[in-house]
Amino acid sequence: MQIKPILAALRHHKAGTILVALQIALTLAIVCNALFIIRQRLVHLSEPSGVDEASLFVIYNGWADQAATMQFDAQVRTDLAALRQLPSVRNAAPASSCPLCGDGDDVPVMLAPDQTQWIADPAMYAGDEQLLDTLGVKLVAGRNFRADEIGKMGSRDFTVPPVVIVSRTLADRLFPRGEALGKPIYMMSNTPSTIIGIVDRLQRQNVGGWTRPYAYQSMLWPMRPVSSQGLYYIVRAKPGQLAAAMREAPKALYAEDRMRIIDPEHGTLSFAEVRRRIYDSDLGMAILMGLISVVLLAITAAGIVGLTSFWVGQRRKQIGVRRALGATRRDILGYFLTENLLIGLGGVLVGTVLAIGINLWMVTQFEMARLSLAYVMTGVVALLLLGQGAVLGPALRASRVSPVEATRSV
Amino acid sequence: MLKMTHLSKVYRTEVVETYALRDFNIDVKEGEFVAVTGPSGSGKTTFLTIAGLLETFSGGEYHLDGIEVSNLNDNARSKIRNEKIGFIFQAFNLIPDLNVFDNIEVPLRYRGMKAAERKQRIMDSLERVGLASRAKHYPAELSGGQQQRVAIARALAGSPRLLLADEPTGNLDTQMARSVLELLEDIHREGATIVMVTHDPELAARAQRNVHIIDGQVVDLSEDPRFHTVHAVDEAHG
Repeated sequence: MQIKPILAALRHHKAGTILVALQIALTLAIVCNALFIIRQRLVHLSEPSGVDEASLFVIYNGWADQAATMQFDAQVRTDLAALRQLPSVRNAAPASSCPLCGDGDDVPVMLAPDQTQWIADPAMYAGDEQLLDTLGVKLVAGRNFRADEIGKMGSRDFTVPPVVIVSRTLADRLFPRGEALGKPIYMMSNTPSTIIGIVDRLQRQNVGGWTRPYAYQSMLWPMRPVSSQGLYYIVRAKPGQLAAAMREAPKALYAEDRMRIIDPEHGTLSFAEVRRRIYDSDLGMAILMGLISVVLLAITAAGIVGLTSFWVGQRRKQIGVRRALGATRRDILGYFLTENLLIGLGGVLVGTVLAIGINLWMVTQFEMARLSLAYVMTGVVALLLLGQGAVLGPALRASRVSPVEATRSV
Repeated sequence: MLKMTHLSKVYRTEVVETYALRDFNIDVKEGEFVAVTGPSGSGKTTFLTIAGLLETFSGGEYHLDGIEVSNLNDNARSKIRNEKIGFIFQAFNLIPDLNVFDNIEVPLRYRGMKAAERKQRIMDSLERVGLASRAKHYPAELSGGQQQRVAIARALAGSPRLLLADEPTGNLDTQMARSVLELLEDIHREGATIVMVTHDPELAARAQRNVHIIDGQVVDLSEDPRFHTVHAVDEAHG
């Protein structure tokens, strides 16, 4: 190999060499982290919510006139009876919100009435005794709400329920030693609420950045939402009958009472659509970062092609001299490929340090996960291959330079 | 050593054919020092590039060290250039990014020679041209004469069978030209075959034999002072 003379020659072309190496380094650092973030986002947006997503849809039901809480409660009960009677529906439940729906309440939880600092701030879903079955979440300990435990939650009420069901993640957060069942918790009140059940997995309503570490901390309250602001009807269709149920349910509700508002376009959403909407920005960000990565890689490749083409043009005579002195076309091709490889190795070396450095900074600043070395290694190989691919064209042109160039005066 | 018979080199365009060499005949024996002279555009450089296998020819035969080269592929031609021919160019053609040592090493690396042998040959050839102390210097740090000496060292390091020199003193002042020429004469006395293209009559006079080219053909000056064309193989050795 002719590494020593290539390195010697590169020392005389420091500016171009350093620029390309830096370009490779920055591209590696940015692309590695971008791909890592993209991967994390993709994993994040495909994480299961814990509910029977394939069979669920939600109806956001607003009320067209203001009525007393009792009237709303009666209407909600009637609505639920109508929904549950539909042949395509397995079950239906009222809810103050639903996983991934985007809006809803968080309730700070403490373990003692005089505690001022909350232990967790889980998402709260108020609903009736059918909510558990409707959502399709798995009860792993304790029991479901009984019908006689269901209270009412109006828009101005803040009555803490005597019993709650919590997600396993929340239970573990509150009682790390696993003794959550039967324990009292306090939610901005001196009145305790007893944990009577634990469900396996139940995702929050929102998926924003700060909520990520607490994505599965949630709880169920035995309360029918009877607020004048409206409520969600969560409907679980029978297998294979989601589309039919989605068509029939709003009609059934309107048949019961027309004084309600269900947005004809966005009022009834399948859970797949709910998921798509909440992760829209994540998906958009992943696509944007992917595009930026592709553009960066293209710019780097173009930079390598440009510089090598320039060098080939600049060294045409030198290539001719080398050919005159006995270099074969393969030798010339090998020279430029090796030269690029050496620059690339310098670039990826710096790039690896940069990639890890940027990630460590993001770990401390944005609570990001540690960058997997597999990403760096993949990036290193990819960039070296990109460099070799980019240099191949100009290198092949160089290899076709005739040895007679050595005798040309310019 | 170098024998061209009825050789021609034609440059063709869509409308015209230009003969750079036509029915060109020359025979250089081993150990000869031949100067090839002629006016500008006569075909001297074309002869040199074909002799050095830097470009192909259109017709005729060319035997180099007993090998008919017309049908050789690019790799074989590169190998012959590397092993049998040493080039000395008017513009020295040293690689500016490499120091003297690395410049001389270039053809030896292409030969796949081991590092120890390369080093030995490089130092020997630098001793030979009197520049052993300049091994780490870059071409830009040397005078024109020194650069040409390095180029000669590079040509000699591979122990070529044939040295081809293209106006080797063309870019040098008189004193430097003289020392380079003396070096070539020394190399010739030691048995090297040298073919030197020049338009300098004084330089040509120092060669063992002169071959004059006009309009792509060899002209025998000794037979006709008006430069008439000779079609037979040039036999005027010495």
